Formats: sequence, structure tokens, C-alpha cells
Amino acid sequence: MIEARDLRKEYGGFPAVEGSTFSVDSGEVFGIIGPNGAGKTTTLKMLAGLIEPTSGSVSVAGYEAGESEMRRRLGFLPEESPLYEEMTPRTYLHFFADLYDVPDDTAAQRIHETLDELDLQHRDRQLGDMSKGMKRKVAIARSLINDPDVLIYDEPASGLDPLTTNYIIEFTSQLAEEGKTIVFSAHNLFHVESICDRVAIMNDGAIVARGDLEELQAEYGETVYYVHTTVEVPESIAKNGQYVRTAETMAEVEATREAAQEAGGSIIDIRTEESSLEEVFLNVADGRDSRAQSGKSTADPSPEV
Amino acid sequence: MRPRKILRIARWEVTKNAGGIDRKTAAVIAVTLLVLGAAAPLVVAQGGVTLDEGFYRVGVDEESPLYPVVESDSTFAVRDPDAELGSDIDLRIRGTQVIASDSQKGQAALAELRSSVGSYNDRVMSAESNQSAAFPVTVTLEYAERNRTTGGTDTLDTNTVGDGTAPDSGTPEDGNDTGPVGDGDSNGTATDGSDGTTPGDSDGTGGADTGGSTGDGSTGGIGGIARGLTGSDAMTGTPSDISPPFPFQSLILAFLFIIPLNFVIQAYGSTMLSERLNRRGELMLVAPVSRGDIIAGKTLPYFLGALLFEGLIAGGVLFLQPDSGSGLYALAAVVPLVLLFLSATFLGAMFARSFKELTFVTVSITVGLTAYAFVPAIFTDVTPIALISPLTVVVRDIQGVAIEPLSLLLSTLPPLFTAGLFFVLGAGLYREEDLFTQRPIPLKVLDSLAGRIHRRRSVALVVILLMPLVILAELVAVAAVYPISMGLPQPIWLGLILLSIVVIEELAKSLPVYAGFVHNRYDRSLRSALAVGALAGLGFFVAEKGLLLVQLLGGLPDVQQAAVVSAGPTAGIGPAVGLLLLLAPLALHVVTASTSAIGMRSGRQGYVVGLTAAIVIHFVYNFSVVMLVV
Repeated sequence: MIEARDLRKEYGGFPAVEGSTFSVDSGEVFGIIGPNGAGKTTTLKMLAGLIEPTSGSVSVAGYEAGESEMRRRLGFLPEESPLYEEMTPRTYLHFFADLYDVPDDTAAQRIHETLDELDLQHRDRQLGDMSKGMKRKVAIARSLINDPDVLIYDEPASGLDPLTTNYIIEFTSQLAEEGKTIVFSAHNLFHVESICDRVAIMNDGAIVARGDLEELQAEYGETVYYVHTTVEVPESIAKNGQYVRTAETMAEVEATREAAQEAGGSIIDIRTEESSLEEVFLNVADGRDSRAQSGKSTADPSPEV
Repeated sequence: MRPRKILRIARWEVTKNAGGIDRKTAAVIAVTLLVLGAAAPLVVAQGGVTLDEGFYRVGVDEESPLYPVVESDSTFAVRDPDAELGSDIDLRIRGTQVIASDSQKGQAALAELRSSVGSYNDRVMSAESNQSAAFPVTVTLEYAERNRTTGGTDTLDTNTVGDGTAPDSGTPEDGNDTGPVGDGDSNGTATDGSDGTTPGDSDGTGGADTGGSTGDGSTGGIGGIARGLTGSDAMTGTPSDISPPFPFQSLILAFLFIIPLNFVIQAYGSTMLSERLNRRGELMLVAPVSRGDIIAGKTLPYFLGALLFEGLIAGGVLFLQPDSGSGLYALAAVVPLVLLFLSATFLGAMFARSFKELTFVTVSITVGLTAYAFVPAIFTDVTPIALISPLTVVVRDIQGVAIEPLSLLLSTLPPLFTAGLFFVLGAGLYREEDLFTQRPIPLKVLDSLAGRIHRRRSVALVVILLMPLVILAELVAVAAVYPISMGLPQPIWLGLILLSIVVIEELAKSLPVYAGFVHNRYDRSLRSALAVGALAGLGFFVAEKGLLLVQLLGGLPDVQQAAVVSAGPTAGIGPAVGLLLLLAPLALHVVTASTSAIGMRSGRQGYVVGLTAAIVIHFVYNFSVVMLVV
């Protein structure tokens, strides 16, 4: 559904994004994460056709970025909610429906349904008088007014309270279930982890890691084994009448089993704990640093995902 | 651009802004506009506000010969002559005896009466069938055009008729009892100059040498200015008439048409800037509409609003002054003026980083464009200088003065093309990367130029695009420098005019090149600088020669010739010399543009040095050519 090839964007001769190549399948939720200034927003805006790449190409649903038909199939939600505050949600959404050539009756029905789903009540109050969360809901409703195939959401829950944040993340997840293709960026990696099928990690304008969560965990994460025994073994701690030893490799688990047997005991349970995306991200960042110190390239040399 | 999308955006622009105004405010604004729109033409139709109407109370009986004087002057209010002097009346007139109250107002009323008597006498004398008897001595003062006067000085011919005796200011020959009264210490006004026609000599005498003046004011020079001020090629009347009248009606008309535009651009500038602040316009850029649609859609309501208001004013004035023109020329001339104001504001809103800066920008635009449009339009009969402003056409049309199609083109095309240029440059900035970027105004100017430069040859195109602005700036410069420096020796005032033109032209050639360097559109090698400099020079040459062609085909007036003086002589030369003189400006523009380009390779200071050198070279060339020709 989305193809990005060798995307590069320069500002004043300095690259904000360089060499980004990825694709997003239809119905997939693709997350882009990275620290501030990593190039996430620039990448998303190039996908949306807002920014023209210095080099490289983007196509969405088979159309070049910026083409009118491509825009018609796209719903874009920027990090801020830049609304016309003199308008009411209803008039604002009707305005954009008009721009997208949505028939009036269809638009009215779609606005009504979407605002219902988003639980936005004050539909005839001026947008300038609304809370940030309410404005965000209107902005999301606007991104859906043309019933787009592809949604590009930049930090959809940025700066919102936990309740509204959860609501919006759940709503986005629901959109994914409806079959929308979503490219999603967020600082809160828990949100990305909870709804994204695949993730790209960006840093300094380049994609430094990518894949589904398992792949990333396998490559950049760690698995910790908590081995519960009936007898005390070296490096174990007593807990609720049992002894627990933390092992980082299977060899350590095996050594713990042998030690327990020698002591006349046995293993009761082995529990595992995978790295979170946040830990993967930090590991990637650490790895990048170590690679940078060793003089290796920080850009991911791997081919397109 | 798609009209349907434009209309949608325009409709929503109105809806959006309507949401910010409550009904009560909207009603107040509507009533205010209606009152202003209705009152303003009325003021013009009546020739202005008469603040002194009925100011002096005069007790006068109907039998007094001074009664018609008092009755015909709106400054006086007629009262019973038996009323108490001082408290009820300022003057008492019995027969020819005039008594003033012992107060400052009484003395002022007496002075006004003397003045009024003089004016009244002049009117009565002018109505006499035998003008030779009414005005035994006729002095015809004519302002001759400087460059067409062989003697080199203004002429003042006096001719006497009748018995050659000194003028007698006594009673009229026919003994009419309503004839002139008193000694008439006249301070009357001259003809209003609205029609610019020459009354001529009623009895075939006079014989003033008109020096080739056309009477329609189509020739230039200081003689034209004076002629325009006095409203005719040659005036006749009493000596008190020979003083330039204040062009009140032109002033009011020009004021009427220019003021609404200043309000419209405030609202327009705000809406354009608000698209940039907080990234509000970002989502429109993602929608399936082009930026041309967006700009046109957002501009359309303000354009139509301004046009509607100007149309109402023109219609109101025309309704109240049935003898004025059709109004079609006025409307045709208003369109480019409105577009120029809007386009300049649009570009300014693209440059401004905040409403504070926008205020500065709009004030600059208001002052600059008002000076350009308003000041020349006051002197509507002073062609061709006044014709640099489309408002001159508007005022002349309203006044019922004939307008030549060429004059209409001269007045409207430069601002129209300049408006197009401003919109094009502003549209270059109407994209995500520039719209929401906070950069200083000078850098934004360069951004707007660089937005049109993609490769070296783009420089030539941008320089050509700048030509309307160059012409407009040169016309304004000539109009500003010419009257100021007229008292100076010819080489100095000519030099000042040429210098202003040279500076404008060199900036127009070098700024696009500099913008390209700043945005790394080409490398900073000597070869590259020479190439883009040559292209800029070539672009300017092509545009300039195109203009020269128009000048030759259309016979544009002198002021236009002054603006394109560097184009070279056009007649009385052989083909070889003609070709040489045709190509010499090409070499000049290439050399000067390359000089600037070479300098700017090393940055801003280098640009200043290169530009200065280019200006010196260009000035020496122009001055030499003009001195040879003149």
C-alpha cells in the first residue's frame, strides 16, 4: 500500500532524513519510533505528500505522493491539531468533506457516526472553546472524513491526559481492525507496541532497525529466565519458600538445574521475561553508540522489509 | 486551478470568518459601511463639506444691491437688518452702507463680504454678452512645456483689445441693477480644471502660443503639471483667478477609492497569516486541492468585497453626477489596483512571522501603495505622471474626462502584472516547508525568488518576471525624483533620475542570482557566476526590449520613455549603428549582472561590493548615452 524508496530530505544542505526505504502492506499498522529530531515527522510528511523529498520516491495506493488521487485516499493527522477555531466541529468537518468531494448527505452521516464513536458531544460549540482532547477528537474525525484507505498519524495522543490517550489508542486500534493501513508515530513505545504490526526505529534521520516485535526482540532485545528451585543454589534468592535464580542464557538455566539436583532438589518453574520495545529501543540506541564509537555506519544496511 | 474548488474554499473562507463575528457586530459593520458608502459620494458630488455654511449672520434688506451677493454666498445667513448688531447679526447692510459689529467676527465677516463681492462681480462680468467690454484687458497665462519651448522659458503673452486703456472696474455697460458692486477686493477661485479644456478667446484675439500643447493633457513636463493644477492649457479671467486651485474633488475621489482597500487588506493579511500560525493551513495542503486553488479561494472573497465596495462608491458618485463618465473605465482600472493591494498583502503575509510583523508589513504596503496610487490621482489632469496610477483613470472617468485606451493600458498593465508577480512569488512560499518556517523577512524574500529557481536558466525567467515590478518602481521613482530635482541643473536632475533607475534595475538583475547562491541552486565557482550573471543580463535585455517594442508600437508617453531610457535611441540612425546600439544594452546588462554575481560568490559583503560596481558601470553607460542623445 505504501512504498518509500531511498527517501532523502535536506534542509539547507543538512540531511533530516536519508536513505529511508520501507513498505507498508495493506491493512498493516506500521510504527515509526525514535528520539526527537530523528526524522519521524519529516518522513510522515513526505509520505503524506506535504514535503517533497530531495531525492527518492513515495507511492501510496499506487499513486505518487502529492497526486490528487493519492490525497483523496489519505487521512493525515499532524502532531498538533491545527483547527479553524472560529468554526464548530460540524462546520469544520463539513468544510473538509467538501474539499474531499464527499456528498453532503454522506458527509453528514459520516460526521455524525464518527463523532459518536469518538464520544464528542459539543458539536456546535466553537472549536476555540474546546479542550485539547476534544480538539484532538475533531482532528481525528477530520482525518476520517474522506473514508481513507491509508492513515498517517503523527503522535496522535501527544499531550493528552491518560484517559483520552487510551481512548484514542483504542480507537486507532479499532481502525486497524477495520482494515485501514496505518503509519503511526509515537513517543510512548507502549502504545506502539500495543497496536503496531511492525516497527521502524529512526535515529539521526536514518532507519537503524526495523521488523516485527519478535524480530526486534530477537535481534536487539534480551530474554531473562527466572528459575524457581526447591533448594538453594548459587546466586539464588529465597522467595515465598522457594529459591529464584535469574539466568540470562539457557546455559545458566542448565547449570542451575544441575546445581539443584546436586543439592537434592529440583526445578519447580522457569518463567521468562521478554524485552519491551522501550528496552529494544534503548539497546538499539546503545548499539548505535557503540557502533558509532567503533567507526561503523549507524545506518541500517539491511534491505527493504 | 479548478473553479469549483476555488469557489468552495471562498465560500468556506466567508463562513469561517463569519463564525468569529456575532450578529450584532455584523449589523454595526454593515450599517457603518452603508452610511459611509452613501455619505462619501454625496460629499464628492457637492464638492466637499461646507463647514462654514451660514457662519456669518448678515442683516440685509432685499432692496440693497448687496443683497444678491449675500444671498448667493453660503457663508452668509440672511437676517433681518433691524436685528441687534453684535448679538443677532455680524453685519448690517442698508443700501450700500455696511456696518460691521465691533468684534473679530464682525471684521472677519466684513472681509468675507469684500471677497464675496469680488467673486460676484467676476461672475456677473463673465455672464456679459460683450466680453470685450466686460474685460477690456485680457491676460492669458499659459504654462508651456519645458522641452518643447524653443525660447527655453515659459511664455506670458499679453494682448489688449478695445481702446487700450487701463481696465475699468466700474459698472457694467448695460447698467444692469444686479451688476457688480463695490470695488471687489476679490479673492475668488479659478476654474476647477476638471475638464482640462481651453476656453480660448471668445473674440478671436488673444493669440497665445500654445507651444504644441494638446489640451487633453497628454504631454508631460512641468508645464503639464502646472496646466493640470490650473485645469486648462490657458486660462482667462480676472487676475485673481490666476492661482492654482486645490484639486479638491480629485483628492476626495482618490481618497474614497483608496481607503476601503486599506481595510480590506487588513482582514486579508490576517486570514493569510493565520493559516501560517499554529500550522492551521497544513491540513488544506494535504487535501486534494492545489495551492493555487487555496490561494485563489482565500483571496476571492476579499477581491470581490473590495470590488463591490469600490463599485458602490463609483455607482454612487455617478448617480449623483450624471454628467460624469460611464464608470466602465473606472471599474476596469479598479481591478488591477485591488489586485495589487491584495497581492502585496499576500506576499507580505508570507514574509511576516507574526501579527506584529504583519502590522509592519501592511502599514508599509498601505503607505507605499497609497503613495503610488493616491498622490498621482490627486493631479489627475497632470498626465502622463498621474497616469502611473490606475486611480487616475478612475478619477478621470468619474469626472467625465475622456480616457484614451493607451492611457488605460499604461495605468493598469504595470500594476496588473506586478500583482501577478507578487502572487506567483507568494505562491512559491505557500508550501509546508516555507509556510510554517520562521525566517527573517530578507531571507523570506530570497526564499520567494529561489522558489522559482531550479537551475541556472531559471534565473533569466525570474528576471523577466520581475520586469513589471521594475517598470512600476521606475515610474514611481521618476515621478518622485523628477519634481524634487527640477530646480537643479539638468545634468544633476537627469543623473538623479538615471541613478534611481539604475539601482532598481541592478537590484532586479542581481537579487534572483543572489537567491540562487544562498539556496545552493548552483555552485559558487567563477564559471557558474559568469553563467548565471550572463543569463540574468540576457533575461533583463529580453524583457527590456520587449517593453521597447511596446513603446515603439504604442507610442507610450514621455514618462515611460524615461523609464526605459537605457533602451537607446530609436530613430534617425543607420542600421549598423542601430544594431550596435541595440546590442550594446545586452552587453551592458550581461557585464553588470556578471559583476554582481562574481561579487556575491563570497557572500553578502561581496554582493554589496559587486552590486555597487555594477551600478557605477550601468550609470556611466546610461548617463553617457542620454547626454549624447540629449
